Amino acid sequence: MAAHEDRRRITIRLSLLQYVLTVVFSILAVSFWVLQVVEHAKFEEMAENNHQRTLALRAPRGIVFDRHLQPLVLNRRSYSISIVREHTKDLNRTVTMLASVLGMEESAVRQIVERHRREPTYRPIVIVQDATLAQVAAVTARRLDFELPDVVVEQVPTRRYPDTLAAHLFGYVGEVSDRDVSANDALRSGDIVGQSGIEKIYNAHLMGEDGARRVVVNSVGREIRTLEEAPPTEGKRLQLTVDYDVQKAIEDSFDQLGFNGAAVVLDPANGDVLGFTSRPTYDPNAFAAGIDRVTWASLTSDEDRPLNDRAIQGRYSPGSTFKMAVATAALEEGVITPDFKVHCGGSASFYGRPFKCWKKGGHGTMDLRHAIEQSCNVYFYTIGNMTGIEKIHKWATLLGLGERSGIDLPNEVQGLVPSPEWKQQYRKEKWYAGETVSVSIGQGSVSVTPVSMAVYAATLANGGTRVTPHLLKAIDDGTGWKDVPPPAAKSKAPLDPEKLQAIRDGLWMVVNQAGTGHNAQIKGYDVSGKTGTAQVISNQGKERAGKTDKDLRDNGWFVFFAPRDKPEIAGVVFLEHGVHGSNAALVAHHLMDTFFAKKEGRPLPPKPEFKANLVP
Amino acid sequence: MFERRLYYHIDWALVGALLALCALGVAMIYSTTADPTRAMSRMYITQLYAIVLGLGAMVFALTLDYRTFTDKSHLIYIGLLALLIYVLFLGNVQMGARRWIGVGGFNLQPSEFAKVGVALVLAKFFGENRGAPTMSDLAIGGVLTLIPFALVAREPDLGTAVTLLPVFLAVAYLAGMKMRILGILFLALLLAAPIAWKFALKDYQKSRVTTFLDPSLDAKGAGYQQIQARITVGSGGLTGKGFKQGTQGQLRFLPVAHNDFIFSVLAEEQGFAGVLVALGLYLFVILRTLDAARLAKDRLGSYLVLGVLASFTFQVVYNVTMSAGLAPVKGLTLPLMSYGGSSMIATLAGFGLVLNVRMRRFTN
Repeated sequence: MAAHEDRRRITIRLSLLQYVLTVVFSILAVSFWVLQVVEHAKFEEMAENNHQRTLALRAPRGIVFDRHLQPLVLNRRSYSISIVREHTKDLNRTVTMLASVLGMEESAVRQIVERHRREPTYRPIVIVQDATLAQVAAVTARRLDFELPDVVVEQVPTRRYPDTLAAHLFGYVGEVSDRDVSANDALRSGDIVGQSGIEKIYNAHLMGEDGARRVVVNSVGREIRTLEEAPPTEGKRLQLTVDYDVQKAIEDSFDQLGFNGAAVVLDPANGDVLGFTSRPTYDPNAFAAGIDRVTWASLTSDEDRPLNDRAIQGRYSPGSTFKMAVATAALEEGVITPDFKVHCGGSASFYGRPFKCWKKGGHGTMDLRHAIEQSCNVYFYTIGNMTGIEKIHKWATLLGLGERSGIDLPNEVQGLVPSPEWKQQYRKEKWYAGETVSVSIGQGSVSVTPVSMAVYAATLANGGTRVTPHLLKAIDDGTGWKDVPPPAAKSKAPLDPEKLQAIRDGLWMVVNQAGTGHNAQIKGYDVSGKTGTAQVISNQGKERAGKTDKDLRDNGWFVFFAPRDKPEIAGVVFLEHGVHGSNAALVAHHLMDTFFAKKEGRPLPPKPEFKANLVP
Repeated sequence: MFERRLYYHIDWALVGALLALCALGVAMIYSTTADPTRAMSRMYITQLYAIVLGLGAMVFALTLDYRTFTDKSHLIYIGLLALLIYVLFLGNVQMGARRWIGVGGFNLQPSEFAKVGVALVLAKFFGENRGAPTMSDLAIGGVLTLIPFALVAREPDLGTAVTLLPVFLAVAYLAGMKMRILGILFLALLLAAPIAWKFALKDYQKSRVTTFLDPSLDAKGAGYQQIQARITVGSGGLTGKGFKQGTQGQLRFLPVAHNDFIFSVLAEEQGFAGVLVALGLYLFVILRTLDAARLAKDRLGSYLVLGVLASFTFQVVYNVTMSAGLAPVKGLTLPLMSYGGSSMIATLAGFGLVLNVRMRRFTN
């Protein structure tokens, strides 16, 4: 009886279990169906993200050459060490370990991580930009031990500027700003782009295209195999108009003199920039792999403003170098002829005010040629006053002064050649005739940039064509060099050759006869030029400020071209507080000497030694 | 002794399903570990040895009448307790737990055999009484279960220890324990949970539960395995990525893929189709075993079969659920498929007893 009951109970309870378990297994099957079929796409994507990584292959920027294809800007390999938080299990541990491996302060690493905390976790946080080989080796070893699976070492092509010459011309590179990323579809966050100079202006050519490598990684981030690889495309190569040796001659000369300033040297025929400098300079290599804060702070807080490109951004009073513009206006407007004579007694009176010549005893009676040679102020007061400010303004502008030159560099500023309209508009005042007298010797409100002075020299040299200075000569996108035609001239002044020749004669005499430019003389090359010495402060002011440490020495100019009758080179040298224009002529001498020696295949002149000829 | 006519009563269908699952396991172990560049590439060979040994144990378990085993069950039980105590003090330590005894190059895990031992002793104990078990019967049965439970839990190996509880519950259930008492037991467990939470569970055990409830709480730590398990299973799709083509298991995003997570690997590489085959095989084994329990000629036989089945079923259901990331990660292997010699031998020996009961249903 009991046995029968037992049997019955067992059968019932077993059947119950059977149903329950069948239901349980059905539920399991449905669960798997949901995961594997319904939600398959989602999990498949997650699995792919798990084991596939896309690594950027940085494209090297294009190499920059001089006009004879001597490399000026190259690339080197550098290594950056970054944390990719996407793969981090314990950020604190990673930071601590990485700091000790790299030999860095833990707080410094933490600070960097903190700064990028809000960025998406797949974006690498760069801890060391230009890692030493020892650091790379230490990190790589740890990675192999699976201790730092979330730290990546990336090889980054980095700019190298072999000689620190023409820093302002090349400019520097840096990480792209967020604003630029949103403005330009071609740019992505983290890209290295040109921030100034050639690097900036021709960034689109130089940048190249990053490649990518898709790899399979395992759970500790080790690469197992490559799925596909798109190699990076190197940026286009640029051939500049600059001549390495001329550039070097300029840099050597400035090193010798120790003055701040600028120099721009052109081919007067087409505006090719043969040399270009701004002093003080900086080392663009410091920016190449990301500039550190200390260096950046010292560059930006330096009172000499080394990041400022004086050649295109500095505005200075031209002094006597402006006299050729006044002479051109007077001659072309028919106010005088080259033989027009003025008597200089050391000073002259205009509108009831005395105006002094620099030579106390006066120059006596002289014509235009000698007035240029001697830089006689009274002569130019007189003809400037006769010509009038409107005409001076017109011709100075035609010669390139008070205008942007249009050089292919960013942030060029405009100088100023005043006119009554300008004064009315900006100062709300009438023009006084007495101002014209001051302007006639390059004082008053006239201000010019060194690059516009170079254009001025080139225009006088080539007979009136206001060439546009330019740096780019040819581009190689991998299929060979293609010449870039020089930009069109800005204007062509209808200069009478005979009248212009009188001015050129005067400029030739400045260098080769009794003038102030004999420092630039090169036998057989008919160097022509004009010095200018511009006060940075009035004589009365000088006395007042005399007791301070401020540098009150005059600025020195030298504009030049050579040879006089068939010019091949023209330009300007400007020395900030350079005391006298004849010091600037020393620089011009060395660079022209180098230029002609190279052209004729002679050995280049040795590094200059200026001490003997320097005006202290 | 083994009579020739008994041979014809062996449930070959069940044996076939068991062997099919073993083969599936070996294939998956091969897929995840056979890599000439890695030291553990010969694991599938070891597993094959274990299967052979297990089949030997199975043959041994069906040669003698199951009543011979249950008659000696008190001795077997005491022997097992001795082994468990021995392990606790002198066992080999691996991954922070003392679970193994070294036997000539092999590591034996006595806790796996405890399941069979407990099934035998409980079958005997409840089989001797007629009618529904009294409260004192239940108490004694409970104590018989809790002694090995405590010893295994001390190793510590809470996962394996927990598999002993279903053995007791199942046998008591079949022996006629009132459903009311079953309900009270569940209620008591439910009430004990917060107390256990506070006092008994270690921090890592707590974190496993909290991260199960919300894996993203600790996506890189304890929740990691669970998220990875779901990705592994889900990315398999309908037909799978193919043999040895699974990225999750092959690239080790999923930990111990050849062991606790072998079912996830199956799901990834063979897809939902493979999952259905494996689940079908397991369900077949379970239903076939329930059948054996029903057909058994005496209560003792039924209890023994269900006792063996209980821990097996519990482990299968839990492991498969966990493999899909649907249960907290616990170190519970999948019987017949996961890598592990002791488990394989004990499981096959257990099924030897099941076959034993079934084929002797007509003998006296």
